[in-house]
Amino acid sequence: MSKGFASNYRVVVLASLVLLSFAGLGVRLVWLHVIDRQELLDTIEKARRQITIEHARRGDILDARDNILATSRSLIDLGVDPQLLRPEDEKKWPQLAALAGLTLPELAKILNTRTSRPDAVVAPKSPAAGSLTFDFGLGGRKDEEKDEADTADDATQVGEPDANGERPIQWAKLSDGISESAYAAIQQLKIRGIYGNRVYRRVYPHNELAAHVIGYVNRAEQPVTGIESFADFYLHGQDGWMEGEKDGRQVELAQFRSRDVPAADGYSVELSIDAVVQHIVEAELATIAEKYRPEKATIIVSDPRTGFILALANTPTFDLNAYNKLGPGGEYRLRNIAVADMYEPGSVFKIVAAAGALNDGLVTPETTFDCTLESIMVDGVERKLPREDASDHFDHPLSVADIIALSSNKGAAQLGVLLGARRFYNYVRAFGFGSPTGFPVGGEVGGLVHPVEKWDGLTITRMPMGQSVEVTPLQMHAAMGVIASGGILLRPQLIRRIRDASGEVVYGLGRAVVRRVISEATARTMAQLLSRVASDAGNAPEAAIPGYDVAGKTGTAQKAVNGHYIEHHHVSSFVGFFPASNPQVAISVILDDCDENLVGGTAFGHKVAAPSFRHIGEQLIPYLDIQPGIDDATHPAIAMEGGAR
Amino acid sequence: MKTSAAHGFVNQVLAYTLVGIGLTSSIGVGAVWMREQISFTANANKVLEARIADLTRRCEETTAAIAQEQDATVLLQRNTLWNLGLVPPAEGQVQRVTEDPTERLAAKRSRGIERETAAAGTVSFRVAEQP
Repeated sequence: MSKGFASNYRVVVLASLVLLSFAGLGVRLVWLHVIDRQELLDTIEKARRQITIEHARRGDILDARDNILATSRSLIDLGVDPQLLRPEDEKKWPQLAALAGLTLPELAKILNTRTSRPDAVVAPKSPAAGSLTFDFGLGGRKDEEKDEADTADDATQVGEPDANGERPIQWAKLSDGISESAYAAIQQLKIRGIYGNRVYRRVYPHNELAAHVIGYVNRAEQPVTGIESFADFYLHGQDGWMEGEKDGRQVELAQFRSRDVPAADGYSVELSIDAVVQHIVEAELATIAEKYRPEKATIIVSDPRTGFILALANTPTFDLNAYNKLGPGGEYRLRNIAVADMYEPGSVFKIVAAAGALNDGLVTPETTFDCTLESIMVDGVERKLPREDASDHFDHPLSVADIIALSSNKGAAQLGVLLGARRFYNYVRAFGFGSPTGFPVGGEVGGLVHPVEKWDGLTITRMPMGQSVEVTPLQMHAAMGVIASGGILLRPQLIRRIRDASGEVVYGLGRAVVRRVISEATARTMAQLLSRVASDAGNAPEAAIPGYDVAGKTGTAQKAVNGHYIEHHHVSSFVGFFPASNPQVAISVILDDCDENLVGGTAFGHKVAAPSFRHIGEQLIPYLDIQPGIDDATHPAIAMEGGAR
Repeated sequence: MKTSAAHGFVNQVLAYTLVGIGLTSSIGVGAVWMREQISFTANANKVLEARIADLTRRCEETTAAIAQEQDATVLLQRNTLWNLGLVPPAEGQVQRVTEDPTERLAAKRSRGIERETAAAGTVSFRVAEQP
């Protein structure tokens, strides 16, 4: 072996240096990895570890035709760190002001306020700058007021106070409703210190439409009422999160992402509400509210074959996008009158006694009653019969068909007496009165039906005509639905389907039968009797729709104040369905306390509610393609004549 | 200790050490390159994810805007503003056909054929008018 290039001395020195170097490195590594390990790990953990929450998108609320009733939109809360602003960016401030929806002086005031006193109200802002610029970017809608969730400080102070005791502001809000496109334009300006936080905000594209059904989510992302609250379990989704590390510039090091749990977006809820039907109903409500100035009013439209609600609207109502701007006492507008308020139904309630008596075979439509009587014997005690309405006086016996068609109070009372208190009470409960229908939204109440044991002597003669009982509009609607559906009480339903983010149906709801109340034959007979109401032979020809057999019943109930019925204050209603022979749509119109000066006399149901029924029905016929009833279908005169008219 | 053997051993150690350092360096450089590539790919994925999320948000924004524009009130305003004169059909304009439309169309066509045949088979005479 050759001697090599090194002398003994040099080799030893070189080898020693190499070994020492390795030894030094080894010692250092042991020092770092063993002795200082925990301290260094803690430092790294603190400095580099980050957990990022990925917010799930709240699901949409859709109508029966996939129109969006509520959706979530990404908006940007725009802010500024005044400490990072550069003088050379000042020339871009006018463009920034325009994009942020501020005037230049307002923007300049925020950007130039760089410190504030810790004890001062940290609001380096002008009134407009601090106002909530909640721009949905859809219709130019802008809030001008702050809501309860928006009262947080608009500026954040971080850092030590200076010699004057003021702290530097490191975040001041510019606007909290910047759209994605506007934010992209702001980013293009490349102004240092301007940045935004992305948040999801709930948007209701149709504003007031179906407000009481949909409900709303507040600024703290908490569902408050309506389907938003009821179906929150499906809608809200599950936030995801990422665990990783960031570098010295606070930028995530994607390669060190150790855990990544993706967000699961919320499911979409498809309602039975049809936006077009709802609009028709709300337009009609607006018309009658303008015309008769009722204290409140409700219209409900449903498919009586399934119990699904097609439209439900109340007046007064509110704008879902401006729920926080109702003004003093405006909470009343949030009330879902259709399920949360009770009223004495009046003559509409006569369907219960008539259907009960027919169902038990006690009477036929031709059975007559003397409606001139002043009193009647009940369990051996003479009881006074109710008076007929002022406009009605019957000097001849009335058949059951006439009692319904002409709305005789004395006749209804005699039907109730014929049934007996216990059986009549059972029918009242079977029709769904006295207990909630199970409607999912609106804080439903069960109505008021006293048990027989608490009835006084007159109750059996008054309840059949709709007094001494309190119901909700939806209960009355569902009760009429019993006749339309062939004798079955169906649970009113709103939700048709639940869909996941990809559109797959994960849950579907169908017709929900509560119970059979009357036989199908009785229901058919009742439908025929009720179809006389909306004819020239009945008391509500105003509800008649040419070419269609309309079945329904009017109601005009005096309002009671402190236990006494008062004049000139009525709840007027018309509840019905059509075609009577093949019911496809049920409509309830209920107006509470119309201005009788505007009505021009007593606000009878046939006068103020029946025309609305007809008007809505006429619009629904072409939209829902409602065919005339079976009887009419047997006379297809137009088609047989070759389609010419 | 034999000097030549010691030198040979030291030389071998040095040579192996250098080779080892070279190999280790290569592995280190390779590892760094690999980590760089992982970092690059991860960041590229992150950018793509952000881009997808951004596009999704834009889609949602557009969807919400479309929903707003499809509101019945807005459509009615447009109808008035643009003088479109669109109105929903009245029941009187609707002809309800309850029979089988194919049979009806066939019958209509048959009637047309019969008329054409009858027209073709008609003999007409031109009669001169007397002055």
